[in-house]
Amino acid sequence: MTLELDSLTRRFGAVTALDGLSFTVEAGKVAGFLGPNGAGKTTTMRAIFGLTDLDAGSVRWNGRLVDAESRKRFGYMPEERGLYPSMQVGEQVEYFARLRGLNAAAAKAATAATLERLGVAARTASKVEELSHGNQQRVQLAVALVHEPELVVLDEPLAGLDPGGIDAIGEVLREEARRGCSVLLSSHQLDLVEDLCESVTIIDHGRLVVAGDVDALTTHGTGRLVVRVEGDRTARWARKLRGVTVSEIDAGAVRLAVAEGVDSDAILDAARAAGRVTEFHFERRRLSEVFREALG
Amino acid sequence: MNAVPIVILIVAVAFIVRRGSRRRSTPNLGAAVSSGIGLVATREIQQRLRGRILRVATLVMLLVIAAAIVIPTLGGKGGSQTKVGITGTVTTAERAAILDIGKQVGSTVHIVAEANPATARADVSDGAVDLAVVDGDQVVVPRALTDSDASTTALTARALAVALGEQRAEAAAKLTPAQQAALGKVAPVAITGLKPAKGSDSDQGTAVVGLILMFVMLSQYGTWTLMGVMEEKASRVVEVLLAALRPNQLLGGKVLGIGVLVFAQATILVGFALGLGAAVGSNILNGTAPVVVVSVLGWLVLGYAFYSWVFAAAGSMVERQDQVQAIAFPVTIPLLIGYVSSITAVSSGHASLYITVLAYLPPTAPFAMPVLVSLHAATWWQFTLSALISLGSTVMLARFASAVYRRAVLRTGGRVKLRDVLSGARTQAGPPRTNEAV
Repeated sequence: MTLELDSLTRRFGAVTALDGLSFTVEAGKVAGFLGPNGAGKTTTMRAIFGLTDLDAGSVRWNGRLVDAESRKRFGYMPEERGLYPSMQVGEQVEYFARLRGLNAAAAKAATAATLERLGVAARTASKVEELSHGNQQRVQLAVALVHEPELVVLDEPLAGLDPGGIDAIGEVLREEARRGCSVLLSSHQLDLVEDLCESVTIIDHGRLVVAGDVDALTTHGTGRLVVRVEGDRTARWARKLRGVTVSEIDAGAVRLAVAEGVDSDAILDAARAAGRVTEFHFERRRLSEVFREALG
Repeated sequence: MNAVPIVILIVAVAFIVRRGSRRRSTPNLGAAVSSGIGLVATREIQQRLRGRILRVATLVMLLVIAAAIVIPTLGGKGGSQTKVGITGTVTTAERAAILDIGKQVGSTVHIVAEANPATARADVSDGAVDLAVVDGDQVVVPRALTDSDASTTALTARALAVALGEQRAEAAAKLTPAQQAALGKVAPVAITGLKPAKGSDSDQGTAVVGLILMFVMLSQYGTWTLMGVMEEKASRVVEVLLAALRPNQLLGGKVLGIGVLVFAQATILVGFALGLGAAVGSNILNGTAPVVVVSVLGWLVLGYAFYSWVFAAAGSMVERQDQVQAIAFPVTIPLLIGYVSSITAVSSGHASLYITVLAYLPPTAPFAMPVLVSLHAATWWQFTLSALISLGSTVMLARFASAVYRRAVLRTGGRVKLRDVLSGARTQAGPPRTNEAV
């Protein structure tokens, strides 16, 4: 079950929000959707739900154009949260379950289970407006997940949550992916995305910049090696090595940029020849570095 | 001749309705209720019934109707009993004549025997009797009558005075009993009108009450629709809803849900009005007034169906309470024109060309057509024609409103201008739309 976005183009007057954007979201994975403000993330998400007209391009689910029927099996949490303020939590989640095609009994059962899972079962009879921000966010997520969607699209689901809330919601999203659901979420908290997501898509100016698995992206390209040799502050031993550049010396820890194809054992040998090696490891890039590099 | 436009319209409406319904497949009621529209409508009804506004509004309107029906009967028929004091002996013929006069002026006369002229005058002045006949040749009333006095007492006094005068004239003429009997059988000659009669007062009274009800309900429920749409936009829940529903389902469900409430409330109000009218003997049910009632009810539904789309589209263009006034005003203007023109037409008692034209324009027809009915100035086919015009334009309006709604409801951060929505519609028309939501 794959979501395919193919050459999405959307113009608002002189502004081009989406400029031939294409990428795919695979089943069973939590996919991060990143980009600076105004990159076109929200427009893309709205396009998946037909909430914005497209000037060109198409959205396909399992190879078929997305229509009202397939959208019933999607879940959505928009950037601007929206619930009926004076409606009870339970009633509200049930209502959305029914709109997605569940019958009355199934909707009731699914609502109880989902609220339990998100830790807000005790507030079933409360009005939404009486809940704290964090709990409203959980109810919003319940609305998106109550019908066991095949695809769930979440615009900034972690914004404004305390660390406990982030962990809880992150765990729920991982469970959803394990169930076989495709999860696409946007966020500005790159460290959280790195922990939570298996793949990321980075866009800017409505165009795709980088896409791929988080592991591949953070280890790809120039390797970074951190070496510490006891008593050494100059790293003279490393400067002789071919394909190795000293990028930084920080209180005895030498950070090396290693070109592809260079054998790390040769570097270790050179370090040992210079003294006792107390630290030797490859440094992964943070996702935030990948992000900044990708956006130039 | 007259039938041709009707046939054309029926075909046109049937065509539009068929085209509209082809996409849906709701074979039974259960499926209809669990469809998107049904769920939205059900939620709408449940939430409104739970709120206090509906109950209070219904109660207030019931009170207004009760006042409108009961108060006129208090004023008009309060003196339905008239006590007439008479001195001296009263013959059976005289008694019959006096009771007959009572019937003519719409009052039950009670004859009270008075001992002498002085007690008779005393009873009149302290109100024990309404008037007195003294010595067979004088009618005594508490206060001198003016020409315009149309109270039961005045009418009875004048009729008595004439009758007594006739008796004296007959006595003076020394007629034989046979001649007297012949005079007693005076029958009025026929009165021929050059034009048919104006609608009866009771029809027009019913029309006025109906017009007030129509205006209050159309603006109340229109505002509900507007506010309901605005609140969904303001709370941003609309984006979550539209991810699961098509815009015309969401809008249609809202219009339908509130529409069911409109009809239920109107039925309660009209039922109450008819019941109360019958109980207190109001003239609201006289003559052809029931036809007027039915036409008002029918037009209430047609009017609601028409206006709800306008109000809904207007609601999608605002997101704050303070913007509501500015957008609701232009939408309410046609309502006001229809209402004021129709009230004026009812009071003039005459169907002008102006009101006849308004009766065929969908925004004003809900007011103007019942007025024509109350003035007996509309035939059944004219009524049907106007209803079909209204239905046809409602279908077109619904499509237009859905389009405006779809484009405006997700545009946040200020009042959306209709011009922007429409120009947006034009630029959208060209390129292919693969993710069409409607």
